[in-house]
Amino acid sequence: MTLRLPRRTVLRALGGVGVSLPILECMLDSHGEALAQSSGMPLRYAIVFAGQALGGDGWEEDHSQVAGVRTTEAGHFIVPPETGANYTVTTPLTALDELGLLGDVSLVSGLSIPFNASSVEPGDVPAGGAFRDFHGGGAGPLLCGTRSLAADFTCRSATSDQLVAAKNKGSVLDSLVLRAQPVWYLSGSSFSGRQYISYRGDRDPIEAQTSPRIVYHSLFDGFTPSGDGAAAQHDFELRARKSVLSLITDKREKLLAKVGAADKQRLQRHFDEIRDLEMRIAATPTMTNGCAPPTEPGDDPPVGGNNAGATSDEIATNTGYSDEHGRARLLADLIHMAFVCDITRVATLQLTVFQSHMNVYPITEMLGLPVRADLHECGHNGDQENRGQLPVSTCLKWHLSHYAYLLDKLKKTPEGAGTVLDNSAIVFMPEAGHGVQLNDGESVNQTHSVEKMILMVGGRAGGLAPGRHIALTGTHPSKVLVSAMQATGYDGDSLGEVTGTAPELFG
Amino acid sequence: MRALPRKVVLPALGLVWGLAACHGSISSTSGEAGGSTASGATGGTGGAAARGGSGGSAATSGSSGKGGAGARGGSGGASGAAGQSGAGPAPTALETGARRLTRSELDNIVRDLFGDATSPAQKVLAEDEFNPFDNDYTLQRASRALIDSLEALADDVAARALAPAARSKVVPCTPSGAGDTACFRETVTALGLRLFRRPLADDEVSAYMTLQAFSTEDNPDVPHDFYTGIELVLRSMLQDPEFLYRLELGTPQAEAGVFKLGEYELATRLSFLLWGSTPSDALLESAAGNGLSAASARRTVAEGMLDDDRARDAVHRFHAMWLGYRSIPASAELASAFDLETTHLIDRVVFDEPKSYLELFTSPETYVNNLLADQYGLTRPSGGEGWVSYGTTGREGILSHGSVLAAFSKFSDTSPTQRGIFVQTRLLCNKVDPPPANVNVDQPPTSTTSACKYDRYAAHRTTSSCAGCHNNLDPIGFGLEQYDIGGRLRTHDDGHPECTIDGEGELPGYGTFSGPGELSEKLVGSGELSSCFVEQWLSYALGRHVADNEAGVVDELSQGFSSKSYAAKELLLDYVASDRFALRREEPAP
Repeated sequence: MTLRLPRRTVLRALGGVGVSLPILECMLDSHGEALAQSSGMPLRYAIVFAGQALGGDGWEEDHSQVAGVRTTEAGHFIVPPETGANYTVTTPLTALDELGLLGDVSLVSGLSIPFNASSVEPGDVPAGGAFRDFHGGGAGPLLCGTRSLAADFTCRSATSDQLVAAKNKGSVLDSLVLRAQPVWYLSGSSFSGRQYISYRGDRDPIEAQTSPRIVYHSLFDGFTPSGDGAAAQHDFELRARKSVLSLITDKREKLLAKVGAADKQRLQRHFDEIRDLEMRIAATPTMTNGCAPPTEPGDDPPVGGNNAGATSDEIATNTGYSDEHGRARLLADLIHMAFVCDITRVATLQLTVFQSHMNVYPITEMLGLPVRADLHECGHNGDQENRGQLPVSTCLKWHLSHYAYLLDKLKKTPEGAGTVLDNSAIVFMPEAGHGVQLNDGESVNQTHSVEKMILMVGGRAGGLAPGRHIALTGTHPSKVLVSAMQATGYDGDSLGEVTGTAPELFG
Repeated sequence: MRALPRKVVLPALGLVWGLAACHGSISSTSGEAGGSTASGATGGTGGAAARGGSGGSAATSGSSGKGGAGARGGSGGASGAAGQSGAGPAPTALETGARRLTRSELDNIVRDLFGDATSPAQKVLAEDEFNPFDNDYTLQRASRALIDSLEALADDVAARALAPAARSKVVPCTPSGAGDTACFRETVTALGLRLFRRPLADDEVSAYMTLQAFSTEDNPDVPHDFYTGIELVLRSMLQDPEFLYRLELGTPQAEAGVFKLGEYELATRLSFLLWGSTPSDALLESAAGNGLSAASARRTVAEGMLDDDRARDAVHRFHAMWLGYRSIPASAELASAFDLETTHLIDRVVFDEPKSYLELFTSPETYVNNLLADQYGLTRPSGGEGWVSYGTTGREGILSHGSVLAAFSKFSDTSPTQRGIFVQTRLLCNKVDPPPANVNVDQPPTSTTSACKYDRYAAHRTTSSCAGCHNNLDPIGFGLEQYDIGGRLRTHDDGHPECTIDGEGELPGYGTFSGPGELSEKLVGSGELSSCFVEQWLSYALGRHVADNEAGVVDELSQGFSSKSYAAKELLLDYVASDRFALRREEPAP
């Protein structure tokens, strides 16, 4: 489609100070390069991220039992013993099984990010590899395939979602970057990079929106409601909004001319983002089949205070939790309808941040195994009463329940001859694997590991053939991402420093 | 600049990478993992790397990574001055950049201007990064999420401010009708002055007059009146970079890159520093009357500002960020008791009975309610709340407060290492390098032979690769071990009666101590605590870390502080009345 922008805005965007905001490109070329070959339907790519590892420290995975029975530690580690279809449903996977979705996802196991076992020097990190400090060093190569040089929670190249977005845009947004965990929950420190999973480029993170209400309005305020009165009110508000912003952007050059070079750069970035908002407002979405803006979600759930408790007995429902469960559901609803309405084709949903300290009591109580710990502790071993693999699996199951919720909604939405899920590649990405500890390089069966990682890829975009457990021992996770990216419009064959694909995903 | 670090730089562990790890890697307890996050032991956050990463510092480890946004030396910011070399006098003009208002400042502003106490910015804006102060502009970056949230914030605030019951604070006149241009113009003029912190030029006011068309258009389907247009004016101003950023221009001085601030810029500096909020109408009037350029007049104005409750709130908040207890990990009832205790002490030493600020650390009394008296094992105050003596309990001052003792810990227990880092970095302003990469600080130390914490930390003392650094940290924490994260006294490890805590510690370079009282005496006696406080406060005032070549400024201010018997108000007043306060140095081009 062609965007309808005020003429003034167009001129400024094309002739103004050159800054590269991806949205600018939407003015230059029409979207839609990446329509599905056969159906002509848009292709969607998303990442659902969990700030958690796969296994508890010191627990070997044991494949011998079926899920849900807590008589032994067995059966709770996510990776089943069998490959191919009809594999054992482990505890975390019950979240997908309950919605009948195991046939719609590929579980790829055995993935590893390389590291230098004999050196911890930044200069010795291999290509695509991890600096030898787990949380901060593992993040970059997992997200963007480029080696980390410090424990700094950053990417040194663009992430997969942004590379797809550059080739495959919806009618309004290049991508939707969302996070369910709104705050860090620890006193005396702050996120410091743990809150990013999308990067435009080298150390250029994209701040996620955490407010479901704001996401709703940014996505759906462009739709004209039915009824004369409502339509008139909508038109009035749209004109008002544009005028309000115009008064600001009209000042741009005059203000920039007054300030020093460093301030100019800061303000330019701010003005560029306001211009991005103006263009998003101007880009009228099209009503397509199945597109129906959801109900306005109302006020956001309250943000919880810091995690409380002088002892773990005091960790309960009071603090350290901002209804991430409800927030994740709302954000998944919004991603779903943004996809259906073709507002965007790319989304990331960070359920919990890297090294998350969200209180897991409320979410694990919901799943029948209350764990009095924060997510980071839960990921290591649970709490004083519930130790080992089961609490870890329960927390992982909670994350997967949101992934399953999104997949289910996409699957239940018809599109062309199939469903929206048929035209999607939806990735589930946990923070860590379960293997040799990255820091010391020798302890085994550890959570702080970039070994034996998993990714899941849901959907059938580009010929993806889901429904199987695929063991790709030692393969870099980026190769799986490249395949999912290619399935949704990416024309490259690498992510960061990693070149190659996982052709097994296509059957 | 500092040819050498002004203070001891602790031995870098980086030299011994690859040797034995100091921590056990397999753990079944949650233990002391607080270190990994409370201080960003992975190189991320803050306090422990207070000066780490500042551009140009030779002591900076290349691997001391910062958060995604980068701190000093990262993605721009005020790193330029730090990279200059050559000894010289303390610079008069200090570098500052455009600072975006923090969530806290925005909430204070809408409270002060519109009576809106709903703290809307806390609800819709992303959490500010703390390093350790939330106003560090080198960590700020605009984003789509920010812009969307600011639009929502502006819409919400404007709607509430123009509600019939509230609008008299916004509109200074009574409009004769939707098309009353005189009243519209008067309102725009008044709002512009308050929000942009300077008078608007006529053409700027006129630009906003275009929004009155929304008040007067012929549109029977949409309710609209005079206030509709005003609401849009307010929405626009609240999203304007001139409101959102503190932009300082000033007039060029003889020295290249140095500018003298104008009256309104001085009013803005004063109000955000002393109140954490925007200038009051009275302060703007002082600026209009050229009442702030003269140092003595500025001092008088600032004295009046310090009598306002907003000054107390701002000083409380500074301490909470500096000492790491800005939100206390405790039950609501206990947290509120801690807050009562700590704010009373701060008020007493800074405002109410201003003697030596250092009594913050050596006060022989504390303000408690019955709950807290019981928690600490002190006599209950008469009337259920009041000052009680510490007596011979070994407690003194703020380091005995549960608020501060809770900081730098995690949920279940104290961390001797983290408390040591806290003292070294926050109270002595020493630099502690991040641990070597192959040490997994995310997990507590373990021992195969003992469950006792002192034994579990043995590797820190006995392994040569660990001891070099940990011997400057852990002994401090072990001297506080008898005080748990709720400030309670204990004689053995939690859950381990067999593990007796002797409470003996050492402040490296200053001898042994036991408990917060003796530690505080040593810290005060060292002479370093007062200058570190000055440095922390200067960082807060500048919105960035103090650069290495600005050590002379800290020394100068510290000498003045000392000569005024450590009266904190005098430090603040002397600073705002100095030439330095009225100047700015432009940052180098990025």
